[in-house]
Amino acid sequence: MSISPPAVPPLKSVPGYPLLKFLRRIWQNYYVRIVGQGLLTIWAVTTFTFFLIRQMPGNPVETMIDDLMTRQSLTYEEAYRAAATLFNFDPNRPVTLQYLDFVGGLVRGDLGDSITRGGVSVTSLIVRYLPWTLFCVGSALLISFVLGTLLGLAMGYWRGSWLDNGVTLLASIISGIPDYILALLIILVFGVQLQWFKVGDVRGGVDPNITPGLTFEYIFSILQYALLPMSIYILSSIGTWILSMKSSTISTLGEDYIAVAKARGLSQGRILTDYVGRNAMLPLLTRLAISVGFVVGGSVIIEDMFQYPGLGRNLYIAITGRDYTTMQGIFLVIASAVVFSNILADMAMGWLDPRVRLRKGEETS
Amino acid sequence: MIGFETVATPTGLIIGLLCGLVPLLVGIRYKRIKAGIGGFLACILSGFACGFLGGLPMIVLAVSVVLSYAYVNRQDPFTSRAALSEVTFEISRREQIERTLANLGNNLRASWKALVRNKAGFVGFLGIVFFVGMTVFGPLFIEYEGQARLDRRQPGARALVAPPSAEHLLGLDWKGRDVLSHIVHGGQRLIITSIQAGLIATTLAVALGSVAALVGGVIDQVVSTIANFILTVPAFPLFLVLAAVIDFDNDFMLAVLFGALNWPTLMRAVRAQVFSLRERDYVEAAYALDLGLWHVISREVFPNMVSYIAINLIFTIRVAMYTIVGLVFLGLVPLREPDWAVMIYTGRQQGVLFLPQAAGMLLSPIVAIALFQLSLVLFTRSLEEIFNPRLRSGM
Repeated sequence: MSISPPAVPPLKSVPGYPLLKFLRRIWQNYYVRIVGQGLLTIWAVTTFTFFLIRQMPGNPVETMIDDLMTRQSLTYEEAYRAAATLFNFDPNRPVTLQYLDFVGGLVRGDLGDSITRGGVSVTSLIVRYLPWTLFCVGSALLISFVLGTLLGLAMGYWRGSWLDNGVTLLASIISGIPDYILALLIILVFGVQLQWFKVGDVRGGVDPNITPGLTFEYIFSILQYALLPMSIYILSSIGTWILSMKSSTISTLGEDYIAVAKARGLSQGRILTDYVGRNAMLPLLTRLAISVGFVVGGSVIIEDMFQYPGLGRNLYIAITGRDYTTMQGIFLVIASAVVFSNILADMAMGWLDPRVRLRKGEETS
Repeated sequence: MIGFETVATPTGLIIGLLCGLVPLLVGIRYKRIKAGIGGFLACILSGFACGFLGGLPMIVLAVSVVLSYAYVNRQDPFTSRAALSEVTFEISRREQIERTLANLGNNLRASWKALVRNKAGFVGFLGIVFFVGMTVFGPLFIEYEGQARLDRRQPGARALVAPPSAEHLLGLDWKGRDVLSHIVHGGQRLIITSIQAGLIATTLAVALGSVAALVGGVIDQVVSTIANFILTVPAFPLFLVLAAVIDFDNDFMLAVLFGALNWPTLMRAVRAQVFSLRERDYVEAAYALDLGLWHVISREVFPNMVSYIAINLIFTIRVAMYTIVGLVFLGLVPLREPDWAVMIYTGRQQGVLFLPQAAGMLLSPIVAIALFQLSLVLFTRSLEEIFNPRLRSGM
């Protein structure tokens, strides 16, 4: 799943052009190349989504124009002007010019203003809602990764024990159920039928009656509201971590160095952590780094279901409201996160596994 | 006439009967009456369910199983009783067909044994059979209720929704209709579309992956670049946008779109696998014999990846169902009843999500989807054993 370096033709000697030679040398550098490729991919994805979202039928201004024409009986021109000033968006402007505006703003670090939410810049929108998603999905990912690898390690090491059999069954059952189906099941069974919690209380990100601040009450309320979506994320992802860690552990146990470690009379704890655990975790770390990229998008359905104020829910709102600029901004953030976590996964692999590092050194030198 | 529309019609039954005659006659000819009757029944069932689409393939399968009991390979020195001088190595056309069929039948019987041996996988298989059987044959027994039934309002009740009762096993929905009838009738489209989507994605992935790895060069780079690109675009949000751009009145269109967006992961795996297989001696030998790209793919490379591809197909079907139900849940595709996902959507829209007595209406489709997906996941365990020759040889 990592970005594999494509085959690069061997360095041809370019006579006479030192600058060209120098550029070629830079492009040969592994890190420069993957970062360059990543930036290209982000640009391609952003451009693609930019033109795609303008193909969606209807736009925010048109709906507003219809509304103004029928309610205030304005002519089309008047309604159009009113709507355009209200929304700070001109639908008649050619798409290519809009694109140039967008790229120009992007270079200056400006994502423009939200169309439907007047006066709010997209950047501030992202800055405001991204932390919620990062906190909720990110910590759920970490918890499920740590718990899942520990359980998987234990199950692989003591294969065939009651722990192994029981948890394998549970893990394959849970990992087979989609997250929003799991959420609905939990709400319906524990919320509506058993009345363990009040369904209306778990909507949103924090209790609106508590003043924001670094108080114990506020933080506790945030945790309280995040508990349910977080546990759903954990439940729906932990099964995969457990099962893959288990199979990775089993294949690591067959390696010669484990037998050597046992023969040396090392303690079980040391073998389990330093020898088995460390090596079995390697392939999973790559996948963890890749999943980090998908944290940002969050889960649109879960966030919508719990009215959680994250990026995913805002993306959904932007899509239904045809808020082009917000959509663009969020897609850009998601694409960048995915690309850079892929690069991170690649680098982490080289850093953690000396075998990969050595091979890469041979390739680039 | 050809496909699923013959479900539960006399035409389907006649098609099944006609198709069933073939294995029955073959069974009588080779004096394997029991196997022949088994094939006869299997053909009737699949012809009844899917018309010619189910009947014709079932003829081949049933005949091959019958033959596998009866056929003795005359060229095999261990089973043949003919004198060496009588053995001819010129294979007649008929002999060749018989042998291929018998081989297929042997494989089918071995697969069945592997399937039954893995308990978790067999449970998954039974689950899939149950759901497919329910959507195909259920409509024979349970009539669909499409109209609102206001007359079913309980005296004093505010809503028509009702919990399960003896008369309506899964309760009534918000229009007072029988939930069981919606469960029975509502799975067909969802399941078929998911399977189509999974098949399209898998076919694309296998074709592109093996061609990219075997041809290499520019084609490889182009395919890899497109794959990288698609993997970077977040799939579900993209689907939300596409759902508005493209009119999803046609279910097949949805499947094609899903397939077009979900091949890259499997494609990369196939490509990597083919790259490593390409180095093996037998593939190089095939190349050296100038057997052609298609032969190398279909005969040398593909059989080594069947297990991986089949498991991936099941998982892709799962993801397809997840995506389709998710789109319906957010109300982004045209809603058509009866459909499990639409049941959840309307339940949420009508605000009965928080009514305790609406449990029957909401939990039924949720449990149906969860159980179907669970069956798919469990079934992959058996697939591992069926396709992995190393695991299979143990029996």
